[in-house]
Amino acid sequence: MIILEQNNRIIVELLEQKFANAKEGGKHDNVNVTFADFDGVLYKLSNPDGDRNKIILSISLKFYAELQQHGADDLLRRVYGANFRQNPENGFNVTLEYDLNNLPADTSDLVTKASALKRNCFASVFEKYFEFQEAGQEGHKRAVINYREDETMYIEAKADRVTVIFSTVFKDADDVIIGKVFLQEFREGRKASQTAPAVLYSLGEPPLELKDLPGARVGENVGYITFVLFPRHTNKKTRDNTIDLIHSFRDYLHYHIKCSKVYLHTRMRAKTTDFLKVLNRAKPEVKGEKKTFSGRTFQTQ
Amino acid sequence: MSATLQPYLEAVRHTLEAALCLEQFSSQVVERHNKPEVEVQTSKELLMTPVVVARNKQEKVLIEPSVNSVRISIAIKQSDEIEKILCHKFTRFMCQRADNFFVLRRKPLPGYDISFLITASHTEAMFKHKLVDFLLHFMQEIDKEISEMKLSLNARARVSAEEFLKRFN
Repeated sequence: MIILEQNNRIIVELLEQKFANAKEGGKHDNVNVTFADFDGVLYKLSNPDGDRNKIILSISLKFYAELQQHGADDLLRRVYGANFRQNPENGFNVTLEYDLNNLPADTSDLVTKASALKRNCFASVFEKYFEFQEAGQEGHKRAVINYREDETMYIEAKADRVTVIFSTVFKDADDVIIGKVFLQEFREGRKASQTAPAVLYSLGEPPLELKDLPGARVGENVGYITFVLFPRHTNKKTRDNTIDLIHSFRDYLHYHIKCSKVYLHTRMRAKTTDFLKVLNRAKPEVKGEKKTFSGRTFQTQ
Repeated sequence: MSATLQPYLEAVRHTLEAALCLEQFSSQVVERHNKPEVEVQTSKELLMTPVVVARNKQEKVLIEPSVNSVRISIAIKQSDEIEKILCHKFTRFMCQRADNFFVLRRKPLPGYDISFLITASHTEAMFKHKLVDFLLHFMQEIDKEISEMKLSLNARARVSAEEFLKRFN
């Protein structure tokens, strides 16, 4: 499991079960599930006003207002069509509605789309700037998305490239050092694959592009990662793949940092048991009574 | 094994063998107490001259003998930040399990990464030469383990970065 899943597994499982049940003509059960995803995202799957014939999936993102400025609503309306509800559920930002009595024959597409809801919310801002780049428009204001508390994403379009800058906070002091190893490898990663975007990083202070930005955080545990996306990444064909990857980068980085720590910990545990074994060899063996196969014992004299 | 490691370990082994001639010794200050003299340091005459065996600036062993106990403190090589955190994590991990290790001290001496305290009771319950073997085994293995952990961390970082970047097309 090197790459994290882009979609939400809980949505897939819940919806598949509900849709399958509905198709077999079973009685529609009451449903009310709340669950979370990366970046403080909250989902809720429920029946609207207790109507069991319909289910709604709502998502709450803390930074949805910022995404809306970049046309998130339009993109979601385009992707989800009739399922996109005009006025979202109270306390949530986006709501999708499914009528269980009126499902298409093949629901797998519906499920896939629904499970990528968070990704699609993010997609609008990327698509907008990719379009700018494609049209060769420069000088648009840089997009700033505070996708987590203390952590921000900046996107800027130039005529020949789109730069995406992530700021991320390492909570633990050790994470900073381990994170540095990872970021170094990301920078070197272009050697392995010619098609990869250029990756730059700086720790402690923002890169030169953000020097004029007052909101950019400075501090020992702050890291900035810059992705330079070239037209080959932003054209219509590869765009979706690029968005898939780049919006999950932060989670991917932190996931692997945590995983390495877990691995190191298991190693230490194993080695400590090993040391203990060596130390126990120093103890003289306790002389027990030795028995032969037939049950007779030796007499020690 | 590098050329300087063998003589270093030999020197530590001989010093330890000499230092581990311990006997039970009741405290001169408190009646009916038997304390490790190297820790309480109540009387100068019960302490022997401490010895430092150093391989280089970073790697050294401090051996402090006394009449009924020996304290051995080891400084482990840490050439960069990663080795530093690995070493710190590892020694802390072991110190938390000091109860199982009998001879391990819960806190290292300042300036060292890990300390052992061997008392006369330990030498009575365990073979002396095996105890020395354990300490030397520990010194050899911990260096190896830390460098292996560092390598695997780097390898992991590389694989994950490459996998991620390969997906872009």
